Amino acid sequence: MPTTAMFWRIVRRLLTANYARLFVILLALGAGAAVTSALLNLQIDAKRRLTTEFRALGANVIVAPRDAGTDGNGATLDEAALKQLPAKHEGKPVPAVAFLYVIGEIAKAGEIHFEPAVIAGTQGYGLTEIRPGRRSEYLASLENDPSACELGAKAAAQFAVHAGDSLQLRNEGRTAACKVFAVVATGGAEDSQIFTRLGTAQSLANLPGRISLIQLSVTGTPDSLNRFIAQLGQSLPGMDVHGIKQLAEAEGRIYNRISGLLSATVILVLILTSLCVMAGMSNVAIERKNDVGLMKAIGGSVRRVVRLFLAEAILMGIVGGLVGSAIGLLLSIWLGKAVFGVAAQPRWIVYPFSVAITVIVSIASAFPLRRLASIRPASVFRGEA
Amino acid sequence: MFLRLVADSFTRRPRRKLLTMAALALGMAVATAALSVSLDVGDRLAQEFRSLGANLLVTPQADSLPLEIGGVDYRPANAGAYLPEADLGKLKTIFWRFNIMSFAPILDVPVDAAAMNNNAAEPLRAIGRTTLIGTWHDREVPIPDGTTYQTGIEKTNPWWHVEGKWFRDNSKDCVVGAGFANRYAVKVGDVLNVAATDKSAGMALNVVGVLTTGGPEDDAIVASLATAQQLANKPGQYRRLYVSALTKPEDAFARKDPKTMTPAEFDTWYCTPYISAIALQISEELKGTDVRVIRRVAEGEGTILTRVRTLLWLVTFAALLASALAVGASAAASVIERRTEIGLMKALGAGSGLVGVLLAAEQLLLAFVGGGIGYALGIVLARLLGERIFGFAPAPKLFVLLIILGLAALITLLGSAFPLRRASRYDPAPILRGE
Repeated sequence: MPTTAMFWRIVRRLLTANYARLFVILLALGAGAAVTSALLNLQIDAKRRLTTEFRALGANVIVAPRDAGTDGNGATLDEAALKQLPAKHEGKPVPAVAFLYVIGEIAKAGEIHFEPAVIAGTQGYGLTEIRPGRRSEYLASLENDPSACELGAKAAAQFAVHAGDSLQLRNEGRTAACKVFAVVATGGAEDSQIFTRLGTAQSLANLPGRISLIQLSVTGTPDSLNRFIAQLGQSLPGMDVHGIKQLAEAEGRIYNRISGLLSATVILVLILTSLCVMAGMSNVAIERKNDVGLMKAIGGSVRRVVRLFLAEAILMGIVGGLVGSAIGLLLSIWLGKAVFGVAAQPRWIVYPFSVAITVIVSIASAFPLRRLASIRPASVFRGEA
Repeated sequence: MFLRLVADSFTRRPRRKLLTMAALALGMAVATAALSVSLDVGDRLAQEFRSLGANLLVTPQADSLPLEIGGVDYRPANAGAYLPEADLGKLKTIFWRFNIMSFAPILDVPVDAAAMNNNAAEPLRAIGRTTLIGTWHDREVPIPDGTTYQTGIEKTNPWWHVEGKWFRDNSKDCVVGAGFANRYAVKVGDVLNVAATDKSAGMALNVVGVLTTGGPEDDAIVASLATAQQLANKPGQYRRLYVSALTKPEDAFARKDPKTMTPAEFDTWYCTPYISAIALQISEELKGTDVRVIRRVAEGEGTILTRVRTLLWLVTFAALLASALAVGASAAASVIERRTEIGLMKALGAGSGLVGVLLAAEQLLLAFVGGGIGYALGIVLARLLGERIFGFAPAPKLFVLLIILGLAALITLLGSAFPLRRASRYDPAPILRGE
């Protein structure tokens, strides 16, 4: 259709009339789109990253007997519960360790002075994720020994024991021996505990096949963590599955801060972008007085003229948005590396979203062109302002 | 004549100038807000992280091993060492005293509990063995310098929620853990009779609240430290102390062993709020204690804090860049629209230099006024954002104003330089003809 061809021809001419201005407007739109898509992508990534970082804080879910005894050797669970746990949550492995706590007595090998201490039998994988700390001494050669045990830093100092030494364990007449393969400092209660194989603790406590509780370190956002807890609670009837509130609350709070900060920045940047485009457009409005006057004089309706300018704005929005958002996504990969140490994964959902926002901003910024509608051709041609 | 030209350009077309100024002010407002929030928020973020709980644990040095499982010490009252409660004020006299945000002493007592009816007559039913955790709820601690400091468990462990009321520190009230309350059908208003397991004489406690912590305290009774001391017959003593301190994330220097440092290095280390330095200062002040860093909290906090700070600066940089772009573009636009005027001036014999200086003077005036207004707006914006996102209002800083004014001047000049250069190449004749 000739009118359509003419329409696009005019749009092309409008766009290419002033390259410098086109460049400024596209730069503004592109920069806005880049910042928008980079920050939105980072926002999604921050949630994931933070939950990963928070896993450095140790276990966040505990499975315990419903009627937990409070005297240390109270109610226990069947150790089969450990096998009923899901190995993965949202594609990530879930470290889970079963603990059996026994208040027994320990002494250095060859000594007769026993002192009470908490003996924790452990079984499962990921003890270092569940109980983060620093190993001050470590003998890898002993780790797979069936009688190997790990000692808390405070307990090690109390008994003057180092890695490689042997210990005697005792509880109500039952005895066991173990070889220390590591000394670990966590700063928490674990510092005064001794970690043995689960079987050792079970035979000391005379509780074969029983455990006190299971600790899990589940990676996921607070919402997905709650889902995990609810599901696990249903699949383990008679057991109490709960999250560690201390971590969940802090995590939620910090994520909300970050997310609020990023959203506020995106909004501010978009306002500034539209400001920038508006500045360019108000120049356009002044320059095009003659053109519009001519168009109107030869019979162009106001609607048609406005449609021309809208098409121009949308085109610029699309180009700026497509290029800018792509740059922004690439940028966020690098930003993710700078902020979280790991490259952020580009989310494709961000791309159409930020392009759409850029187009909307571009249309909204064409607001100054509204003035063109009220131009009277006669006064323009007379040279009046 | 020069000043008249400048003044004229402002008074002749006030609406145009106002628009440019508004753009400038808005851009600078965003820059101000971003700068003031990120300058102030660094410290606040560290405080935010204190919601993770205490990062230092103080225990007696000459002690038997704590029989602690899940946060509760199962040692009987006569075993192990204790620390004097009266010394606690000294915590606020260490070098980094202002970084000690809160602290709470703990004394666990194994007790036999029984529920009584409301008029505290005969015990209704025995509940059995449980743990009574004695601590401060919200206590005014006298500091050796004559002042007092308000602290307690509610500040060190902000995730502890009480339905009902907290106990008062000098009362015979207690709160019970949610698990405990459920299992034994204890509710607010009930009276519990508790006695240390190795003694017969008991004590009646009013239940004033139900505590949810998500930890082992859910199965215990929490009461004032004085109550626990009386039950355990250990007046004025406690077993564990949790300290929540604001710290600088550990770096390579912090991980050096203080014993191997040179005196100068040691001074730097001692006067930096590293968690290890604060731990040393506490153990110097509280004699006979062993101060340990709760690694999982301290290290997790450090890494996350560093990450969030980087993110904050990045976002500030993005906002600054966007506002620079906006201001530059509107400055450029304001020069472009005056092409005719420039043409006329040149036609009348003005050199490119004179035109440039004239326009620069105008732009500078605009930048300072716009920057000033932008700063004022930005302070309001920063307050709004700070309160919405971080829960505090950043204080206005004078040097932010200086930065903003400098930035505004620089960007407007840069923004107008480009079109000015083009304008100086124009031939006056076609411009005046309106082409």
